[in-house]
Amino acid sequence: MTKIKTLRRATTGLLAAAAMSFAGTAQAEFPDRPIEMTILFGGTANSIAQLLTDLMSQEMSQPIVPVSRTGGGGAVGYSYVVNTPADGYNIVWNSNSINTGNHMGRIDFNYEAFTPIARVSTEIPALAVNASTGWEDLSDMVEAVQASGDVLRVGISGRGSFTHLTSAALFDALGIGEQVAYIAYGDGRAPVELLAERIDAAIQWPGQFASYVEAGELNVLAVTGDTRVNVLPDVATAMEQGYDVNISMWRGLAAPAGTPDDVVAALQAAAEAAVMSDTFQEASGNIGFTPAFLPAAEFGALIAEDDAFYGALLTELGMAQ
Amino acid sequence: MEIFLQALASAMTPMAIASIGLGALIGLIFGSIPGLTFTVALALALPITFSMDPVPAIGLLLGTYIGGMTGGSVSAILLGIPGTPSAAATVLDGHPMTKQGNASIALGTAVIVSVFGGVFSLIVMIVSVDLVSRVAISFGPAEIFALVLFGLSTICGLCGGSLIKGLISGALGLMIMTIGIDTIDGVQRMTFGSVNMMQGVNLLVAMIGLFAVPFIIEAFAVKTSMPEKSQRISRVKAELPSIGLLGRNLWLMIKCSVMGTGIGAIPGTGGAIASFLAYDHAKRFSKKPESFGKGNIEGVVAPETANNAVTGGTLIPLLSLGIPGDPATAIVLAGLMIHGITPGPALFMNHAGEVYGMYVAVVLAYLWVLGLQLMGIRLFVHVLKIPRELLAVAVLVLCAIGAFSIRNSVFDIYAMGAIGVAAYVLVSFRVPITPIILGMVLGPTLENEFRTAMMLSMGDPEIFYSSPTVLIFFSLALLVIGLQAVSEFKAKKQPKNEVKADA
Repeated sequence: MTKIKTLRRATTGLLAAAAMSFAGTAQAEFPDRPIEMTILFGGTANSIAQLLTDLMSQEMSQPIVPVSRTGGGGAVGYSYVVNTPADGYNIVWNSNSINTGNHMGRIDFNYEAFTPIARVSTEIPALAVNASTGWEDLSDMVEAVQASGDVLRVGISGRGSFTHLTSAALFDALGIGEQVAYIAYGDGRAPVELLAERIDAAIQWPGQFASYVEAGELNVLAVTGDTRVNVLPDVATAMEQGYDVNISMWRGLAAPAGTPDDVVAALQAAAEAAVMSDTFQEASGNIGFTPAFLPAAEFGALIAEDDAFYGALLTELGMAQ
Repeated sequence: MEIFLQALASAMTPMAIASIGLGALIGLIFGSIPGLTFTVALALALPITFSMDPVPAIGLLLGTYIGGMTGGSVSAILLGIPGTPSAAATVLDGHPMTKQGNASIALGTAVIVSVFGGVFSLIVMIVSVDLVSRVAISFGPAEIFALVLFGLSTICGLCGGSLIKGLISGALGLMIMTIGIDTIDGVQRMTFGSVNMMQGVNLLVAMIGLFAVPFIIEAFAVKTSMPEKSQRISRVKAELPSIGLLGRNLWLMIKCSVMGTGIGAIPGTGGAIASFLAYDHAKRFSKKPESFGKGNIEGVVAPETANNAVTGGTLIPLLSLGIPGDPATAIVLAGLMIHGITPGPALFMNHAGEVYGMYVAVVLAYLWVLGLQLMGIRLFVHVLKIPRELLAVAVLVLCAIGAFSIRNSVFDIYAMGAIGVAAYVLVSFRVPITPIILGMVLGPTLENEFRTAMMLSMGDPEIFYSSPTVLIFFSLALLVIGLQAVSEFKAKKQPKNEVKADA
C-alpha cells in the first residue's frame, strides 16, 4: 500500500514538475497561443490591419488574428481591450482616436491605460478644391477668400472627426478660420461634392483625390503633414508653403497597460519586420498610407504629445468633455 | 477592342472562373441562411484575395457580392426571414407563395429576374457610366433627402389594414436608428453612458431580430398538431416558373431594372430603397392590387429585379467616383485598392483592362448564380419538410452566431433578442414589421442629408424648393400619401368585412 502511495506521490510530483517546467518554457517563449488584434474602424484602417496581421503572423510562432470591433468612434474596441489581461494576447490597432475619444468623453480612460508597442503607419490629409477655382496653392486660396470676404464652405466627415480637427487647425494657421463654414457629411463624399461645386474645399485622404487630380478635375493645394505623400508627389506640405501646421493620423499597436517588456519587445520586433517587408511597402502606395515604424518608447512620447495637442484643439472648438 | 479581348482572356482563365464561382457559392450560402449576411462573407473573403491576381481577386469579391444579393431571397421566400435588407420587400409576397405550396416557383422566378436585373444594369453601366455618373453628381444632399422621403412614402403601401399602425411602425424604425454617436455633430444620443449603446443598433442585427425571432417564437407558441401541415409537406415540389409567366412580367422587369440601376447609381442610397419603391410601383400599377401581400408573383418579380439591378448601378459611383454605396461595396472597394486599382475618373484611362475584366466577371458571376441557384432549388425546398420546431432551433443558433459575427459583439445578440421580442409583441397587435426595417434603412440618410442640406444653405429652407429634382420627388411622395389617404377613407366608409379579409 505504502509503496503504491509513494509511487503515486512521486508520479504526481513528477507530473507537477513537468507541468511547471512546461509552463515555465511557455512563459519564456511568448506567444504560445494565437494573439487577437482588435480593429476599431473599417475602410483603410481595416485594410492595413488585415495586411499587417498576415505579415506579423509570418514572423511569429503563433498567428495574429484580426477581430473587428467597430463602433462608437473606437470606444467599443478600446473598452474591450482595456479590460483584457495585460499579457500581450489582446492588442489593439489604435490611432489618434485614443486621444480624441477620451477628450470627447466617449471613453473614460486615456492613452495611459495602454502600453504602446509600435507605430506602424501614418496617413496625411490633403486639402482639395475644384480645378475651376484656379487656385494652385494655399496662398492663392487665402488671397481669394480674403479679397472676396465670402464664407468658404469646407466639407468635413463630421464634427469632431479627424478631418474636422485638421481643417480647424489648418484654417486657423492660414488666418481665415473666421470665414469658414463647416459642412458635415457623415461620410467620405467630399470629392463628389467638390466636383458639383456645392462645397468650396475639403480635407480628405489623398487616395480619394488622386484619380480626380489626374483627370484634371480637382486641385490639391497642400498636405498637412511634415512630409509629402507618394500618391501626390508634386503637392507641397503646408509647412513648405510657410504655414505652421503638422497633423497626420498615425496608426499603431498597443496592449493593456502593464504588459511585460519582453512581450512588448517581441511584438515590436514582429511589427518592425512586417512594416519593412516589400509586400507592406508595396501595398502602402495602393492603399494610400505611409509606412512609418516607430519603436515603443518614441511611439509613447508621440501619443503623449498628441494628447495635449488634441485636448487643446477640442477645447478651443468647444467639443471637449 | 484589343483591350477588351485581353480582358476577356484574363477573366476566362480557369483560375478566374473558379474564383468567381467560389465567390458566388459563398455569397449564396451566406445570403440564403438566415442570420448569416453576405457583408460578413465579403469581410472573410477579403484577406484571401490579397495574394491573388487582380482579376480573380475582384472576381471572388464580386461573385460573393452578387451571390449574396441573390441568395437573400431564398430565406425570405421559404421562411419569411430576409437574408439581406434588400430582400425584406420580397418577404411580403414570396413567403405567402410558400404557404400556398408555390415555393419553388417563387424561388425560380426570384433567381431568373435577379439575373435579368443584374445583367440589364451591367449593360446600362457599360454603355453610360460617364453620363450616369455626371447625373449622379448632381444629386446633392437636398436631392437625396427628397428621394429618400419618396422612398419612405412607400410605407403607405406596406401597411396592410391600418395606415396609423404602419406609420407607428415606420416611426419606430426611424427612432431606433438615432441611438449611438451622431455622425454629423459627433455627440452621443440615447446611449445612457453605455459603451455598447454608443455603437448604435446595427441594421443587420435588427433585421435578424425583427424577422427571425417572431418566426422562432411562433414555431413554439402555435400548436403543432395541425393536419394541414402534413398536407403542405406532400405538396413540396421543385417546379420552375414557365416562360409565359416570365413573358407576362417582362415589362415590369424592365421598369424595375431601370429603377434599380438609377437608384443604385446615386451614392448613399442602395438596394433596400430600390426594392421597396419597385414593390410599391408594381402594386400601384397592378391589375389586382388587392392580391398583393397574399402571394402575387409580381410582388416577387419587382423587388428582386430591382435589388439586383442595384448591383450594376452601385458599380457606377464605385468605379467612376470611388464612392461605395453600402458596407458590402465598401469591402469590394478595399479589394480594388489593395490591387492598385484606384477608382475615380482616371480609372478608365489607367486600368481599362481590369475594368473590362470586371464586367466579364459580373456576367460570369450571374451565370454561376443562375446555375447554382436553379440546381439549389431542389435542395432548398426540402427545408420545408423539416418540422418547424427543429427548424426554429437551427434558425435560433444561426441567428445568434450571425448577430455576433457582424461586429464581434455579444451586445448585438442581446439587441437581436430584445428587438425580436418587441417585434413579436407588435406582430400580435397586427402592427406590420416591414415599415420598421424601411425606417431603419432610410432613417440615418434622411436625417443626415436634411441636416447637411441645411448647413449648405446656411439654414435657409429655400434649398428644398429651388431645385426641380427635389420638387419632383416631393410631389411624388405627396401623391403616394394622398392616394393612400383617399383609399383609406373610402375603406372606412364600407362595412367592416374588409378588415377581416386582411387578417
